[in-house]
Amino acid sequence: MEIAGQNAELPEIRRRTRYFALLVLLVFGALGTRLFFLQVLEGDSFYRVTADSVIRTEILPALRGEIRDHRGRVLASTRPAYNVEVVPSRLDRATYTQLLKILADHDEDLPDWDTFLARVGDKKDRPFIVATDVSRETMAQLETSMDSRGVTVRTEARRFYPNGPLAANTLGYLNEVSAEELRTLKDEGYRPGDLAGRTGLEKQWEPYLRGRKGLRKYVVPRRGIDPSTIAISDLVSGPTEVAPVPGENLVLTLDLDVQKAAERSLAQYRAAAAVVLDVKTGRILAMVSRPGYDPNSMSGSLSSEAAARLFSDPFRPLRDRCLSDTFNPGSTFKAISAISAIEEGVITAEERTKCYQFVQVGRRRFRCTKAHGIVNLQQAIIQSCNVFFYELAMRPGMMGHLSHYAAMLGLGVPTGLGLNGEQAGFVPTEEWHRQQEPTSSQQGFMIGHALNTAIGEGATRVTPMQMALVYATIAADGVLWLPQIIERIETNDGRVVEEFEPRVRSHLTIGADTLNIVRKALVGVVNNPKGTAYKARSNKVTVAGKTGTAQANQMRNVKTGELPPIYARQDHAWFAGFAPAEAPQIAFAVLVEHGGHGGDVAAPAAIAIAERYMELKAEREAADNKVLPVRPSAAPTPPAAAAPNGATAAEGPPPRRLSP
Amino acid sequence: MLKVFSWRKLVFRFDWTLVLAVMMVIFLGLVNLWGSVKDQQYLLFARQLSWLGLGLLLFFVIASIDYRIIARYAYVLYGIGALLLVSVLIAGKVVAGARRWFDLGPSHFQPSEIMKVVVILAVGKYLNDTPLQDGRTWQHLAVPAAIVGLPVLLIAAQPDLGTAMMVLLIFMSVMITARLKAKTMLGLGALAALAIAPIWEYGLHDYQKGRVLAFINPNLDPATAWQPRQAMNAVGSGRFIGKGFLEGSQIRLRNLPALWTDFPFAVWAEEWGFVGCAVVLCAYAFLILRALRVASEARDRFGAAVCVGTAAIIFWQVSVNIGMVTGVLPVVGVTLPLISYGGSSVLTVLVSLGLVMNVSVRRYSY
Repeated sequence: MEIAGQNAELPEIRRRTRYFALLVLLVFGALGTRLFFLQVLEGDSFYRVTADSVIRTEILPALRGEIRDHRGRVLASTRPAYNVEVVPSRLDRATYTQLLKILADHDEDLPDWDTFLARVGDKKDRPFIVATDVSRETMAQLETSMDSRGVTVRTEARRFYPNGPLAANTLGYLNEVSAEELRTLKDEGYRPGDLAGRTGLEKQWEPYLRGRKGLRKYVVPRRGIDPSTIAISDLVSGPTEVAPVPGENLVLTLDLDVQKAAERSLAQYRAAAAVVLDVKTGRILAMVSRPGYDPNSMSGSLSSEAAARLFSDPFRPLRDRCLSDTFNPGSTFKAISAISAIEEGVITAEERTKCYQFVQVGRRRFRCTKAHGIVNLQQAIIQSCNVFFYELAMRPGMMGHLSHYAAMLGLGVPTGLGLNGEQAGFVPTEEWHRQQEPTSSQQGFMIGHALNTAIGEGATRVTPMQMALVYATIAADGVLWLPQIIERIETNDGRVVEEFEPRVRSHLTIGADTLNIVRKALVGVVNNPKGTAYKARSNKVTVAGKTGTAQANQMRNVKTGELPPIYARQDHAWFAGFAPAEAPQIAFAVLVEHGGHGGDVAAPAAIAIAERYMELKAEREAADNKVLPVRPSAAPTPPAAAAPNGATAAEGPPPRRLSP
Repeated sequence: MLKVFSWRKLVFRFDWTLVLAVMMVIFLGLVNLWGSVKDQQYLLFARQLSWLGLGLLLFFVIASIDYRIIARYAYVLYGIGALLLVSVLIAGKVVAGARRWFDLGPSHFQPSEIMKVVVILAVGKYLNDTPLQDGRTWQHLAVPAAIVGLPVLLIAAQPDLGTAMMVLLIFMSVMITARLKAKTMLGLGALAALAIAPIWEYGLHDYQKGRVLAFINPNLDPATAWQPRQAMNAVGSGRFIGKGFLEGSQIRLRNLPALWTDFPFAVWAEEWGFVGCAVVLCAYAFLILRALRVASEARDRFGAAVCVGTAAIIFWQVSVNIGMVTGVLPVVGVTLPLISYGGSSVLTVLVSLGLVMNVSVRRYSY
């Protein structure tokens, strides 16, 4: 192989191999730089990516807080529910048919095997819930007779209201958060399938009740991986296990027994509302809105028909009539008229007027229920004489006094409870009437408007809660309370987180004499043989109050010319007052929607509640020598500083809450 | 008269440095393979061991045969190699739409791998036989181009673009020793650049285009980009000192396909981190530089060409493989010499290193 000229090339080859060596070093240097970038500079983020792919996070649900009454009895709680899940890929026709047979008495309609498969599509490996909340019997049957890996029974926590529809509108209900809501709620830790409070206290106190979810991270067991050999703490930064924090319990001022009594006394009416307050604290003892609903059926699997039925019900069961509906106060307003007239010196207690059953103003007659003859203020209230108050309203400046005192007593603004989209109601003024459109019947202030306002008709709108507060104020010598429903918040293990004291909204300067005159008249309404509620009187307790019969809209529909249905043309029956008259403890307002005459319908219901309350009190005093609604410390101490009139600061949740 | 076997020379002039470099890379590869197959059958490891054993035996046998004798049969070997490539196109086993392997019962044989060495031999022989004092220009390139063109086309027809490109790169590296004139080199570069468009349009299969496109823009086709993405995750997650031997979570999940053949470096990088990667790069650099050193000391151009070719095999395969694993090159099925699992690759590299040993042993005497 010795060839001429060959060796001469060798030095050249040597030089060229050196270039090649240089290229090698350059390229390897570049690779090293790339590795440095990936592993040292960006290493941590890659590390996280690979660690995440082996790690799953399991969310541990938090137990929702309970809602209890004043005496600790459970109003809303959580119980286990059993759901049947199937994994379609592990099922066959025979097993599925057998499953259908077992679930036959469960009210959910399940498709047959082929339809089911079609519905499942290609997600055959995912579990499907075929039945929720099956009975223990069904569960036992499934466990004994089904031998398939494809069927599992899973336990789920379900909201449970042991008293069913009792106080449903106050407590509220839960349901699943929608995909749309999730977009905004994600930051607060909501995930698909979570329940959230929709109305009532469940909604208002949602952040407290729901607690905080926990989590557990674990290594995914896959083929060839033994999770027990991998230390999870090496793979994740931060905690690998966070225990869930159960939600906080709400202790309400509601008293289950009083609530039951109130519910029972209204049970015969299709649509009604009742509010019972503690006169000495402004705490709510009972709050009824009929027709109610069973929140147990709402907080989970409400069939679509049941939901449609509920939402299209003309009696609107989901509406809290105590707070979110307003009505004309009717004659219950006369107590306010009387107070304003005496306080402003428009009349004296002795002044008398003769009632001829109507008053002629221009071409219009303002009517009374009957010709009462000669009446003074007291008799006018007892017999609910409209004419007396018409005469009163015609006096100069009376309209202004009426609006002033109505607003002072808390009408026209929300009471501050902040629940269920509480309505403000409305108190008309001369100014307001002047600003109305010429086409409106309320346009331009005329004396007729004052006449209507004095007897609680016209544009005045109130909620039952507002009316109960007005009468509580009359009973409590002018102390206007902020209504209170939450007594305290406790942790799951009973530690008190926050305790709420009664709060005065405003300390009214109404003369004691004035209140005495009005209170005496209110006693007469029930106890004087001429009183409008005399038929409903009780021999167990002296009740003071005022009946009201608020006119319902009887006008023809402007477009169709039709009258409202006969039911809707009947008057609303009111009764608002306090008991016992000699030393008031509770104040109440009862409204029976389209119930008819207040003295015939609302008064008996209200007086029944008062009777039951006194009975309970006596029973409890005998049993454990404890005063019912008020703890001994909460005596009616005069408030240090009166809140400004019309204050709306709620005795409600601190800032953590979403705006109501 | 040349002796066919000359053990004496091998014993006296034994190139310890080269053998040490080879053994180092083999050791790193075995450690890594042990980690890769931990969850699998040990068969894989045992097989690789036996391939390495056979390869080392060949290494010494080839080192002991005077390379000038081998040079005599270079064109014969080339002919046999070309025949094998033709027959694999006809009788090869179809795997994933490509005919690359002969099915030899328990294992496979990939003729395109061994063809890399054969091309080096043939080109070396040609260069050796046609010395030129004043450099080579276009007309002197016709024969070498033909020598390399045939196998490249045959391999590309399998299709196995990765190996075809490797053969081309190796050929071009060998040609460095061929005293090409600078003008000619520039012209060749321009031609290669011009060739990209027609090759892209007519020469590439859709899956190959897909890989390149996925490399350029991973969002275009996440499914194709998934594999290199996983590899890159594994590499990056090794950080500075790695997750530790047998601790790579990517491997434990076996998220990576073609782990033992195409992505052993991802495993290594994950478990040993940047430090481990630097060690591997240094071991390869040491081996390549040693081969180039032997090339520069060779007594004739055939020997130099063989050594440069071997260095090129290792250099290009390491660069392309690591480049692909670290996401700087598109995915091509190129193995990591002596570390990847696979008989054909191990034998090819050890045979060519045997040739380097051969040249090294005979560099001072004839």
